[in-house]
Amino acid sequence: MSFSGKKGVDKAFAMLRTLPRVCLANVRRNPGTRIKPTRGRAQHGGDKHGAGNKGSGQRQNYMRLGYETGNNPFYLRFTYEPYYKGHHLRREYPPLSLLQLQKMIDTDRLDISQPLDLSVICNTGLYKIDPHHKHFGIQLTDEGANIFKAKVNIEVQWASEPVIAAIERNGGVITTAYFDVHSLWAIINPEGFFKKGEAIPRRMVPPQDAIEYYTNPVNRGYLADPEKISWERLVLAQKYGYQLPVLENDPDYAMLTQRKDPRQIFLGLEPGWVVNLRDRCILKPTDEQLKEFYRS
Amino acid sequence: MLVHWHHSYSTYQRGSTQVGATACKMAVVNRIYLFSRISITPKILLDPINRVCGGRRFDSTSVSSDGEVSNSSLSTTPIIRRTLACPPEYKRVQQAWVENLNTVEEQKLGLIDLHPDVFGAQPRIDIIHENVEWQTKYRKVRYDHTKTRAEVRGGGRKPWPQKGTGKARHGSIRSPLWRGGGIAHGPRSPQTYFYMLPFYTRVHGLISCLSIKLAQDDLHVVNSLEIPTDDPKYIEDLVENRNWGPSVLLVDEIDIMPRNITAATDSILHINLMPVYGLNVFSMLKHDTLVLTMAAVNRIEEKLLYQLNRPDFMDVTKKFMLNQNG
Repeated sequence: MSFSGKKGVDKAFAMLRTLPRVCLANVRRNPGTRIKPTRGRAQHGGDKHGAGNKGSGQRQNYMRLGYETGNNPFYLRFTYEPYYKGHHLRREYPPLSLLQLQKMIDTDRLDISQPLDLSVICNTGLYKIDPHHKHFGIQLTDEGANIFKAKVNIEVQWASEPVIAAIERNGGVITTAYFDVHSLWAIINPEGFFKKGEAIPRRMVPPQDAIEYYTNPVNRGYLADPEKISWERLVLAQKYGYQLPVLENDPDYAMLTQRKDPRQIFLGLEPGWVVNLRDRCILKPTDEQLKEFYRS
Repeated sequence: MLVHWHHSYSTYQRGSTQVGATACKMAVVNRIYLFSRISITPKILLDPINRVCGGRRFDSTSVSSDGEVSNSSLSTTPIIRRTLACPPEYKRVQQAWVENLNTVEEQKLGLIDLHPDVFGAQPRIDIIHENVEWQTKYRKVRYDHTKTRAEVRGGGRKPWPQKGTGKARHGSIRSPLWRGGGIAHGPRSPQTYFYMLPFYTRVHGLISCLSIKLAQDDLHVVNSLEIPTDDPKYIEDLVENRNWGPSVLLVDEIDIMPRNITAATDSILHINLMPVYGLNVFSMLKHDTLVLTMAAVNRIEEKLLYQLNRPDFMDVTKKFMLNQNG
């Protein structure tokens, strides 16, 4: 058996065919990967075990971070400058690039014949947000904007102008939408939420400092006037110099124009409904007061 | 004469006399058609030159590694169609003969495709070693125990004054320096060696092991575990006749095996039965030959491909990460 011209797996298999049977007696770890136990037993077994001689290194009572043995510490030497003031209250939008989005589509992680939103993208397992860390959803970034080719109806939480242009140039639709923390927990893990057996909550309106962003048609905000959005689509097309594909002539017109209600979290499911995964049914509120509550 | 590449015996281990014998046997069995016992897709294609599998076309002549392919045997080779899940795009599909167990002599019932992600993956000896080490360690508890100087009886009194005796200074007759004293840094019982191997290291251990078994001709696929008699002699003769080595691990999909094979192998300690859910690296390596039923092959492929392609794989591995904060 010759394996001179072979590579990779083929070569390994060709070698295995000439080697003795792999069995318990001849498997071993890769050379040089064994980590020795820390305490030896012979001549130097009673030594310091790498901790050095005397002092805080040996006793592991290290000085507190930033302490300079009596000097005026560096971190106190200058006056306070509030670069990060209020950082624990600010909203974060973890980035997802157009390149990543295109790759998810090309590798069949995403089905672009359906609208894309936060839950669909989280369900790929390739994008994660954690509301505990003040993550409020997807920030779609413009990396790979020039090679983005998919026609999508996508809902993200933050998008810049070149990103909007890249989506709309291909005949797609983009919406920026706000989800409050309670809704976020539901939308990032729909299965987990439905298993809890709770009613789907209403989506809350954005906080004061986000109202402006989400009502602005330039940002394709979900609270903006649709008439103004279609005007801004035209404006952006002229600014970036592309021919805006006509949505009305698109065969996927129905899919591309699907939008969530500002109170809605899941497409096709209304607030107040309970999704029962075990019996595969949906329970809807019948009480007038409840209906009124979820409608408002 | 078609000598399929994982059925041409390696002369290194099993002796060169087997090569001719196997080749002659195959000339006979190549004309035998497939039994309807095969549960997966009982459709036989008698024209194997171009086959369609999972939307792709393969040339069956390309599976022979040495190019020893003759057209006469090809035209009657029964092919069992098997649609591979997650069809491989760039890897060559592995193949194995389906054999029978209801005669002592081997009969080849057909040829099946095996997924290269499961049966043709890179053989990682180091991952297999990690698995073997884990399987031996995780359930081990050491009970050897020594007493420290505090636990040995007595020794509370200073044996002699610190100064003035001319003797070395000592504080206790149970010091580790003393005969009959305590043991410093001795073994303390019970000491558990439990740890969990990362989930995907276990998955790749199984995959590596299956790939190696197939590459070394130690993996055989049978249509079922039905044998005509419960006589242990029958199964011993069968193993002897087919040159399967002394120890054989027979794997079926579920843990309720046919009566005859259970009774026949019951008294033979080195021929063992195992359901798919018990399949593990240690047992595969401990036995010379691994025999899988068709149902077991389907189940193993399904389970391992699911683990390789599941979108929430990060959630599976998260449990085994030391840093649980990130």
